[in-house]
Amino acid sequence: MASFNRLDPSDFVISSDAISATLWSTQTPQLSTFFTSSTQEVGSSGDYYLSVYQTGSTLSNAAVQFDIAYGNALGSGSLVYNSIINGLSPTATIFGQYQDLVLGDENTNFTFGAITSSEFYAISFERARYKNALLLGSLTLQIKGPIAASGSVTLTDNSGYISTVTFTEAGRVFQLVSGSAGTANTSRQASGYTTDSGSYGWLLPDIGTILLNPKALSAPTSSGGIGFVYSGSATGSSVPNISPMATLYQAISGSANFQINSQETITSDYIFIRARSSEFNYSENPSFISGSTGEVLYNSFINSPQTYITTIGLYNDTNELLAVAKLSRPLPKNFTSEALIRIKLDF
Amino acid sequence: MGYLDNSIVTVDAILTNKGRQLLAQGNFNITQFALADDEIDYTLYNPTHPSGSSYYGEAIENMPLLEAFPQETQMMKYKLVTLPRGTARLPILDLGYTNIIIKQGASLAITPQTLNYLGGNTYESSGYTATISDVRLFNTFEGVGINTPQAQALNQTTTLGTSVSKTVVGTTINLRATTINTLFGTNTQLTATLTVEGRDSGARLTIPVTVTKIS
Repeated sequence: MASFNRLDPSDFVISSDAISATLWSTQTPQLSTFFTSSTQEVGSSGDYYLSVYQTGSTLSNAAVQFDIAYGNALGSGSLVYNSIINGLSPTATIFGQYQDLVLGDENTNFTFGAITSSEFYAISFERARYKNALLLGSLTLQIKGPIAASGSVTLTDNSGYISTVTFTEAGRVFQLVSGSAGTANTSRQASGYTTDSGSYGWLLPDIGTILLNPKALSAPTSSGGIGFVYSGSATGSSVPNISPMATLYQAISGSANFQINSQETITSDYIFIRARSSEFNYSENPSFISGSTGEVLYNSFINSPQTYITTIGLYNDTNELLAVAKLSRPLPKNFTSEALIRIKLDF
Repeated sequence: MGYLDNSIVTVDAILTNKGRQLLAQGNFNITQFALADDEIDYTLYNPTHPSGSSYYGEAIENMPLLEAFPQETQMMKYKLVTLPRGTARLPILDLGYTNIIIKQGASLAITPQTLNYLGGNTYESSGYTATISDVRLFNTFEGVGINTPQAQALNQTTTLGTSVSKTVVGTTINLRATTINTLFGTNTQLTATLTVEGRDSGARLTIPVTVTKIS
């Protein structure tokens, strides 16, 4: 007689499954409405980045979707920290921050395609949105040009077109190319890059970041760009009338088409529970017993007992209940049946 | 809490509070399992159903079940047990008491016995698990008689906090009611429940416990 059965090592299976989902709080694949917070923009953090929401920032369901930052090795694009020291400004800080994070070398610039750049725009997704990583091949980012004649450019990553993945200090890196949803537009260049300005940037899925190459975006339409330029003050000596971050924000929100998915790896323990035909056919349930002497409820239960499994308890050696699993409906068990139940434990 | 979707057979597994505690301590090690039929009322089983044996369990088999609770004391109440075919009587516990009324500061030893077990009435070799629902009622709540490392580890566990349960293992459970007057407030007695379970048989019995104030 026993109420506990030992588990064999072969009853345990560990599995890691990649789960993808929409990244945005709207639970839709495409983010088409964009909002910023004037409080954040004029606050101290506004010198470094601009937070973008899916709805009005003061609404109860507002959540930051991503932040836009601009990095420049020379400090252009923002007011210097101290007027007697030229070149040290928030944009220089941002540039050094990503240099350290992505390149791991303070003397190396970013190389988009074959073009080296000392500036970039960074789109950094909220961690809660992208979970473990950005899903490769899911990006569609449309950026609108400053004038109607410029049109717009739609970007995706080239993960589906390369045979060797490149790694940086921030994990995997993929080039941004013209195209959508992982499919490159190769009508101008086989690589999907601009004609003379390299790729449109980098996708860094493991740190949930996109780096955009300003040179590619500023290229003429005929070369694959959209003539996108930062229109604010070019030096660090005066307060810009518009920040580089706000300039890119307007270009993204104007196109209203930003799609990307998140990816999460869930590690699960599968435990297989086997109840053989001769096991677990009687119950200590008080309704299984008639009277105070322990007699079974029905005479037919003496030779043909019928029980119903509703709960599986997982125990340690000291009989402490560590985990429980409930079936969605009672599972009949008797001397002519066996039960095999797979339990999934997520961590 | 909610009802599980019963349109497909699925398993919803969660860690209990004890499991989370042991996971945090790095002592999470599942080695065995048990099955239970909590929520099932066997009086709904109808062995005289006019439509035949396929319908005997009709009232049970499609019932919706509640989701799992994380409180380990609220789960696995009624275990399924393995017994030889032809068993007419199931093991039941005899504590010698149907309820316990004990005076403040008094002591009591309970030696559970399992009836209808292994061909008669006997004491289980692995002992009994006893859980008091509110440990504040007793200055002493200990199990003796089982000297395995696992049982001793459980018996030496210190339970902190207010109005929390405590579980011990033994062949005899020693109780000594609290001497602290302030626990009673304006009341003349304190109540709790004592649940005893045979570690081999799975037989389980819960009785009320009352501590009466003497001064």
